[in-house]
Amino acid sequence: MKRSLAYVGERALLIFISVVVLFPIAWMFLTAFKKPRDAYSLSLNFEPTLQNFVTVFSEPWNLGSMVMNSVIVATVTVVIAVPCAALAAYSFSRFRVKGRKFLFFLILSTQFIPAVVIVLPFFLMFRQLDLLDTRIALIIVNLAIVTPFVIWMIKGFIDAIPTDSEEAAMIDGASRLRVIKDIVMPMAAPGILTSSIFCFILTWNEFLFALILSRRDAVTLPVGLVSFRTERGDLWELMSAAGVMITVPIFIMALFIQKHFTRGMTAGAVK
Amino acid sequence: MAEVRLVDIEKKYGSFLAVSKQSLTIHDGEFLVLLGPSGCGKTTTMRMIAGLEDITSGDIMIKGERINDKPPKDRDIAMVFQNYGLYPHMTVRQNIEYPLKLRGVKRGERKTRVQETADKVELGALLDRRPSELSGGQRQRVALARAIVRTPSIFLMDEPLSNLDAKLRVTMRAELKHLHHELGVTTVYVTHDQMEAMTLASRVAVMREGKIVQLDTPKKIYAEPADLFVAGFIGSPSMNLIDGSVKGGVFRADGVEIPVPLEDRSGVVLGIRPEELDISQGPNAPINGKLYALELTGESTLVTLRNGPTSVCARGHADFEADINSPCHLTPKDGARFHLFDRASGERLG
Repeated sequence: MKRSLAYVGERALLIFISVVVLFPIAWMFLTAFKKPRDAYSLSLNFEPTLQNFVTVFSEPWNLGSMVMNSVIVATVTVVIAVPCAALAAYSFSRFRVKGRKFLFFLILSTQFIPAVVIVLPFFLMFRQLDLLDTRIALIIVNLAIVTPFVIWMIKGFIDAIPTDSEEAAMIDGASRLRVIKDIVMPMAAPGILTSSIFCFILTWNEFLFALILSRRDAVTLPVGLVSFRTERGDLWELMSAAGVMITVPIFIMALFIQKHFTRGMTAGAVK
Repeated sequence: MAEVRLVDIEKKYGSFLAVSKQSLTIHDGEFLVLLGPSGCGKTTTMRMIAGLEDITSGDIMIKGERINDKPPKDRDIAMVFQNYGLYPHMTVRQNIEYPLKLRGVKRGERKTRVQETADKVELGALLDRRPSELSGGQRQRVALARAIVRTPSIFLMDEPLSNLDAKLRVTMRAELKHLHHELGVTTVYVTHDQMEAMTLASRVAVMREGKIVQLDTPKKIYAEPADLFVAGFIGSPSMNLIDGSVKGGVFRADGVEIPVPLEDRSGVVLGIRPEELDISQGPNAPINGKLYALELTGESTLVTLRNGPTSVCARGHADFEADINSPCHLTPKDGARFHLFDRASGERLG
């Protein structure tokens, strides 16, 4: 009796948590297909439409350019950050230089600074460089945000790789860079892929810096969402359609790489 | 093929002295074994030769050339690691081929040499497998094949058999010996297993606390250990080391009275190998005590006798039988060799 009560309680709690987590997402997906008059209704009985998706891609919303900005900023950030971070992580993992631990702490400590504190210096700097409202500015800022994090993640994966294979390769005739390319990177691939995805997601969802540093040309999707709060009120059906556009790519990517994702996490955790 | 010379090499990790000013010449085509317990500096010495560890001071010469500052890839060496050091993401073929690829050997020649080498170590049928699909012995063969595929000047082997089971170790030992005979490449081999050292080596360097304590042929080291440490380390079962003193030309300990050519002194350790003792019937034997243990090894029985703190082991006939705690007597065989050491310093006295 006690056991079945515990079972029922456990299930009820799980269902409650699932509803709390999934409800907003489900609501967003449903609202994206609703007409404006149905947006505030909780009823599932509505006439679905794709008009919201057409609207968000047309004037004045121009979601297309925001998608392009987000894709370019996130992709370039990953393409630059991950190789650089992988090399830095390898150095931190393998070379016993003086002050190594302090330097590593210093890099990690950049993550402790609240973004809101440094957004103004960034703004002033980019204004001086005439880079405000450019993708380059957003890429630079995102690199500064994600690179320390990716270094820390990849270092964990490289630490778990035994050095025997590397030493064998060096004796076989490989230079240090060749060892990294031929031996370390393939062995750390699941970890690097995991880190790349995290890096992409962080950049894709970055809001504060994009809000302050972009105005018209470099606006990314998360910032674009705010534009649906208009003088006519919050346009929830359009905001939801744009939300779906932001979520779906990440969702598909997660589905594709789920296997590597899990393997990468384990590889880093178990030494 | 090449001669390797270590001249006063020293290795320090901070204040810890791992290898202290050692000199050693490894002759062309020789199979030299660095033997010693864990932490004696044997692997560090090998890693210095490989270029995987910096040398604190001294010189390493290969073929007469000083190679202290040369990276591992330019030393023309091949190394087999204790944990194999295979490339898990590559197939057996790619593993063996990798050193050739790095040296710019053309594809056609690479293919031929990989096949020849794989056949030599009986891996021909496994070339398309990955290391994770192989057994320990097969992995070890891949490591060996990778080392021999480009015929280097020197082979370095760091406890290559220690991860294998006892039976496979014996098989692989014979294969290594045959391979060395066939290729004739100068080989430096690190092990803590004295049986491996005895069976494989042309010469053995016994190391202790960063120093080479004896460098000689296995036969000589077995017959004339330089000190108490070597005496206890070489041989299985190890040499009987009996604490006692010499008075009137006779070594005396509890239950032991053996004439020795040494002047009177105390603090003497007498060493005698178990295979040089016979089990005798009479009570007037030089070694007397009570039977403590009988261990059948198959081809013989190890008989351990005790008298006070004295414990002596003899290798007896396989079908020897007696009751535990019954009186037991041992007599050195004709021509048995006695080893005398100073207990405090461990030095050989005679």
